[in-house]
Amino acid sequence: MTGTIRNRDTFLTEIATRLGREPKLNVQKPVWKHQPQRAVLKDASADELLEVLRNQCLQIHTDLIETKLADLPKTLAEAVKLYGGGPLSLWKDERFDKYGLTNLIENEWPAENIEVNSWDTTLGEKNIELAEQANIGITFSDMTLAESGTVVLLSSSDKGRSVSLLPTNYIAIIPKSTLVPRITQAADLIREKIDNGEQVPSCINFITGPSNSADIEMNLVIGVHGPVKAAYIIVNDC
Amino acid sequence: MKVSLFITCLVDMFYADAGKDMVEVLERQGCELSFPKGQVCCGQPAYNSGYVENSKSAMKNMIKTFDGAEFVVTPSGSCATMFKMYPEVFKDDPQWRTKAQELADKTYEFTEFLVDVLKVENVGAKLSGKATYHPSCHMTRLLGVKEAPKKLLEQVEGLEMVPLPNAHNCCGFGGTFSVKMGDISEQMVDEKVNSAIETEADYLIGADCGCLMNIGGRAERTGKPIRVMHIAQVLNSHE
Amino acid sequence: MAMKFSTKNFTDRTKDNISDDFMRKAVAGAQERLHGRRLDAAEELGNWEEWRSHGEEIRQHVLENLDFYLHQLSENVAERGGRVFFAKTAEEASVYIRDVVEKKEGKKVVKSKSMVTEEINLNSVLEEAGCEVIETDLGEYILQVDDHDPPSHIVAPALHKNRDQIRDVFAEKLDYNKTSKPEELALHAREKLRKEFLAADIGITGCNFAIAETGSISLVTNEGNARLVSALPKTQITVMGMERVVPSFEEFEVLVSLLTRSAVGQKLTSYVTALTGPRGEGDVDGPEEFHLVIVDNGRSEILGTEFQSVLQCIRCAACVNVCPVYRHIGGHSYGSIYSGPIGAVLSPLLGGYDDFKELPYASTLCGACTDACPVKIPLHELLHQHRQVIVEEEGRAPISERLAMKAFGIGASSNPLYSMGAKVASTAMRPLTKNDRISKGPGPLKEWTDLREFPAVGNQRFRDWFYDQKGGK
Repeated sequence: MTGTIRNRDTFLTEIATRLGREPKLNVQKPVWKHQPQRAVLKDASADELLEVLRNQCLQIHTDLIETKLADLPKTLAEAVKLYGGGPLSLWKDERFDKYGLTNLIENEWPAENIEVNSWDTTLGEKNIELAEQANIGITFSDMTLAESGTVVLLSSSDKGRSVSLLPTNYIAIIPKSTLVPRITQAADLIREKIDNGEQVPSCINFITGPSNSADIEMNLVIGVHGPVKAAYIIVNDC
Repeated sequence: MKVSLFITCLVDMFYADAGKDMVEVLERQGCELSFPKGQVCCGQPAYNSGYVENSKSAMKNMIKTFDGAEFVVTPSGSCATMFKMYPEVFKDDPQWRTKAQELADKTYEFTEFLVDVLKVENVGAKLSGKATYHPSCHMTRLLGVKEAPKKLLEQVEGLEMVPLPNAHNCCGFGGTFSVKMGDISEQMVDEKVNSAIETEADYLIGADCGCLMNIGGRAERTGKPIRVMHIAQVLNSHE
Repeated sequence: MAMKFSTKNFTDRTKDNISDDFMRKAVAGAQERLHGRRLDAAEELGNWEEWRSHGEEIRQHVLENLDFYLHQLSENVAERGGRVFFAKTAEEASVYIRDVVEKKEGKKVVKSKSMVTEEINLNSVLEEAGCEVIETDLGEYILQVDDHDPPSHIVAPALHKNRDQIRDVFAEKLDYNKTSKPEELALHAREKLRKEFLAADIGITGCNFAIAETGSISLVTNEGNARLVSALPKTQITVMGMERVVPSFEEFEVLVSLLTRSAVGQKLTSYVTALTGPRGEGDVDGPEEFHLVIVDNGRSEILGTEFQSVLQCIRCAACVNVCPVYRHIGGHSYGSIYSGPIGAVLSPLLGGYDDFKELPYASTLCGACTDACPVKIPLHELLHQHRQVIVEEEGRAPISERLAMKAFGIGASSNPLYSMGAKVASTAMRPLTKNDRISKGPGPLKEWTDLREFPAVGNQRFRDWFYDQKGGK
């Protein structure tokens, strides 16, 4: 599916003219003189990054729960209870199985009458409705930025945008191995994808804690349009 | 060390005492002072109002006047900044540009000269009381002289320095702004005066007579009890 | 709302706002908080100046090669199935958007915050076409509900309003019956707006940065409203000023880091979203159709001029948050949707001197804005540049001022003339002087002495003292 472009030539010619030259057809990005972003947490170990993340979570009103891989089902089940239970909205993501959560999702929660809805493209728009009604949305973090306390979510057909957005609460499961210093490394990941000939996902979300606003008298209000609460569960997988 | 004084219009006409104090402080440090007679105004009032062409004759006069000086020292961060901007003003005029650059390179604000060139922080001043310092905008931001006055004031015997709330905010002088935009200037200077009063300081010290004339003039008009002093006056106090 | 929203003159607007005590307290408080947060965020990095230099070099490179990057951007948007429309004027942009909405039979439009859509007067155009347009940024929503009160700050548009005013507006227009606690007010807005998001046909967003290499657009918010606007409606229209493009994700991340730190002192805001094209194959959420409208509206005329650097702006409002003039007069005094130092530079360029010639004079040239700018726009120099253009090219200064400055040019260039003038002034002022002070000055001095004492000319000028003492060395 290719889109369309209208009115481009005259528009760009005008720009070139104003800049006093012919239109440019090829520009090489320069080697930048300054690259301060590369120095941030440059040689930090995974544990040091985790410590940075812990502190940052205090700034961004986000609960941080640390657990071992073996305890993840228990930890997640407790967290879900803590935030008021179901209905739950989940990505369809093989990592739930890989991290030993299949039993929890398929057996334990249903047994406790906790409604679980995993994203299912065959249901079409019903997915959005279910996410909207959910009490908690749960996703994995594809990359986790220690400096800012950010989870990076790459959306796809199985990983809807709505899961981290419409439910009242949001839980991100963060494999410790996804920790990187900062958003610079996310840009590097995208560079890798481009170099491998992959398409950039149609939606990349950088999520840093719950939704908030300071539009009324500069008073911070947590929970405006997106989730009212956010929690990160760090799984020690490395 | 031979120093040519660039005294500025305000000090020449209204604040001669601050100029005399600067002379005495510098002489005590062993400087040999001269006052190049041709000096008038650096051109800033016209320049800042947008009359760049009209200001050039004043600038050229200053460049000629200080030709041959070794160091040019001035009791004003704002006027020193104007000299530093001359090369940019004359950027398309190769003949004047070079001369402007020479002048800019040898020009120092008074406290900057003491601390950075003469390497003096304690000039032996004594003044008892509590004081707060207003960092003037052009001096701190455009000229980049932030620490020198503080270092010098810290060494004044008997003087207790207290921080000025929202010190970074402009006092509302801004040259012609103070009369062109009187309504706004009034609000700005009132806040500055009130911040100074809040500190319960006896003195508000500054290094630019424009700001001091504004703050002092407003404090006096509104009956606020604070004495405004140029830093040269403080550094030449012995009581 | 178009860029200009007031018919009053600058002096009257300023007077109105100076007497608004609540607004002034709100602005002062916000400035102090944001100033501190910004400094903390910068200090934490340890090498803020290097970050600024990097931001500057990226933005300068983009502007120098703007045609190339816009070409690349449009190619990549189209490759991913997006529709790109280049709009030379505000009208072209808003008419195109209206046509898209009409073609889609859109009735309900949800919008996330966008200054450029204000600039092109989009809401009115859509409303005239029979659409319901809902602003979803909490601040913008409050203003919209309050009969389209203009924004007073480019990041916190409702900064001038207090909680009681907001409660009253909500009570009157939205059947609100709770207290003025911000939490309760925000919850009410959440509930109202969630329904609107779900029901809307069209989502309209601004664009913080567009990424040329991937054809992506990005949205930076704390509330998450831009995510909803871009996730739920079937059609998304993104409107961007043409300068807001970056080469790739590498530069994007640097500018976002600068933006969030400078705007609110956060390392990143709660949501930074990069969107590429419409929803992907098999996706359930995200728009089926994606339009990108790239707006010139006077920007190209700034390119290649001494004002080009203003287009480096990333709309963080750091300059607004440190401006001592904005502090006292608030955003509405500027009469433009772009207020503060950036507004005082940009509004005359986009809107003309007829409406905005006072703005460049509403500054003491204190340089706080220039110091705060994360991409090193020399804002106070651009304000000065405007003055020069107004005086020397446009000839708009009053005759009395022109004559005075001419006299200055002559008098200040020669000591004999200056000394003569000083003597005349001294003599003239003597009768007005009491206790070394002048309290009621004549002519131009009156403006000064209306507010402050003026010092008397000393008995002896410094230079005369110096000659006396040192023998005229």
